[in-house]
Amino acid sequence: MLTKRQNLMETIKGGNPDRFVNQYEFMELIMEAPMDLPLAPGPGMTVKNKWGITFSWPEGQIGSFPVHDDEHKVVKDITKWKDVVKAPSVYYTDEEWAAAVAHANSVDRTDKFVTAFCAPGIFEMTHHLMGVEDALMNLYEEPEAMKELIDYVVEYELAYAQQVIEHLHPDALFHHDDWGSQISTLISPAMFEEFFLPAYKKVYGFWKENGVQLIVHHSDSYAATFVPFMIEMGIDIWQGAMTTNNIPELIKKYGGKISFMGDIDSGVVDHPTWSREEIAKYVAIACQRCGKLYFIPNLSQGLNISSFPGVYETTSEEIDRMS
Amino acid sequence: MTKIEEVKAKLEAGKAKLVPGLVQEALDEGNAVGDILQAMTDSMGVVGDKFSAGEIFVPEMLMAAKAMSKGVEVIKPLLTSTSTSSLGTCVIGTVQGDLHDIGKNLVTMMLESAGFNMIDLGVDVSTEKFIKAIKENENVTLVACSGLLTTTMSAMKETVQALKSSGLTGFKVIVGGAPVTQAMADEIGADGFAPDAGSATVKAKELVKA
Ligand code: B12
Repeated sequence: MLTKRQNLMETIKGGNPDRFVNQYEFMELIMEAPMDLPLAPGPGMTVKNKWGITFSWPEGQIGSFPVHDDEHKVVKDITKWKDVVKAPSVYYTDEEWAAAVAHANSVDRTDKFVTAFCAPGIFEMTHHLMGVEDALMNLYEEPEAMKELIDYVVEYELAYAQQVIEHLHPDALFHHDDWGSQISTLISPAMFEEFFLPAYKKVYGFWKENGVQLIVHHSDSYAATFVPFMIEMGIDIWQGAMTTNNIPELIKKYGGKISFMGDIDSGVVDHPTWSREEIAKYVAIACQRCGKLYFIPNLSQGLNISSFPGVYETTSEEIDRMS
Repeated sequence: MTKIEEVKAKLEAGKAKLVPGLVQEALDEGNAVGDILQAMTDSMGVVGDKFSAGEIFVPEMLMAAKAMSKGVEVIKPLLTSTSTSSLGTCVIGTVQGDLHDIGKNLVTMMLESAGFNMIDLGVDVSTEKFIKAIKENENVTLVACSGLLTTTMSAMKETVQALKSSGLTGFKVIVGGAPVTQAMADEIGADGFAPDAGSATVKAKELVKA
């Protein structure tokens, strides 16, 4: 039997996988690494992160949200972003790295990929700083200032990557950036190509030059029209690919250049009244129509968890049954 | 190209800085305020259709809506109740437990440009708040509920059912948001559903005129 890592490589290279790659099994995510997550830690809490962005998780809500009223928006006027945006330091003490280093060292790298985690993405960072409507309109109204800000975020990501690479020597990167709603991308392909493709070429290029073999990008949305850009920027696996993308067709068109991880929409199976039968049904549909090559059956959620306890594990069991 | 055609072209291209000047020129040429407003409204309809068809994206919609509102500012002082087509007041909000508002804001802009007087209650709106707004505002013809989280679909159902059993009348209820479907809208007793902001205006007009 192939190891998880070998089976993954066979799958994305178009070889002979001996079973379906099962969701996130090939990635050992090193979540202990010091990082600046875009989240408030729990209900009723509000935090200001190191970029100065306020995140609040109001009681009774299912998650946290960046606060963008006039008082809390970091960037109120994009032409003056330099006065207000200050990237945090990427330097952490050995003590702060210790847990992550120990975790990475404990992994059998012949079986799994030691995987670094990065969130938010570059597009997400722009809208966390100023609110999504301003971020989108500024792409039209102040494109030069937006490009400068994007470059600045890229510099930060590169500096952080350098630290992660030195401490963990990761084999893979799992990087988030949500680019769409379930039926379309938030911006046009042309705009994406102009603003975000160059940024990601730099970032993903750097990780790859430094020993990272596998780039896994999360966008749980429609983004079929961005696949050529994903390939160009060096993404190996697009995680979160929702059913609205017509994944079988994407596999036919792009298989061998990129692989797709998803085709089981969390929204459809991960709900309070979930059942094994329902999960089995959607797992079977995904596995049968996509096949074993260039495809990894997975819930669209951006981590190896589900919103409702049991759904992730049951999905894994059903994928094993399909194998 | 006539001035009015120029206004339309620039509005559809989202040129928020140019539209106000062109509207002023169109007025100076002697065009009727109502005609200019109608032209802009028609253009927003075109923008909505392009969005529904996937030809344009959220930034283009936002820019067109901004151009429209800048243009409307110029003619606002001249608008009399007879020159505005009135579809009545629409109360809109994202349902309780949900904070997403991009989709709701696009729908708000489109309905406003179609001729509704919009009362935007924001996000995380409780059933009580919806009901209070219907009581406090005149001529409410439409209540629009948005929801993006599958977990808030129950809040949407509660809201729709409370509105329907409140004893208040004169309005229709329209729902939308990524996880909402026509089947779900029927099941929870809403009067209408639309999958995007462009078709929301078509549906909304149809509902209030019915
Ligand atoms: C942008 C975004 C955010 C932004 C929101 C910014 C903002 N100001 O709204 C941020 C980053 C803040 C955010 C936060 C969160 N998000 Co969010 N987010 C999205 C994303 C990527 C896009 C949504 C969007 O704006 N689309 C663009 C607009 C134009 O489309 P739309 O909203 O669908 O609206 C259109 C139509 O639906 C329709 N419409 C909308 N409303 C109405 C109303 C009427 C009456 C009508 C007729 C039509 C209509 O017209 C609109 C225009 O065409 C989606 C991904 C997705 N696949 O949808 C996730 C998503 C909705 N988010 C999700 C989650 C989980 C969250 C968080 C809980 C994350 C967290 N753990 O903190 C929090 C939410 C907290 C809360 N309590 O609400 C999940 C929901 C999963 C689920 N099963 O329910 C999604 C689906 C992502 C995912 N797959 O995990 N999010």
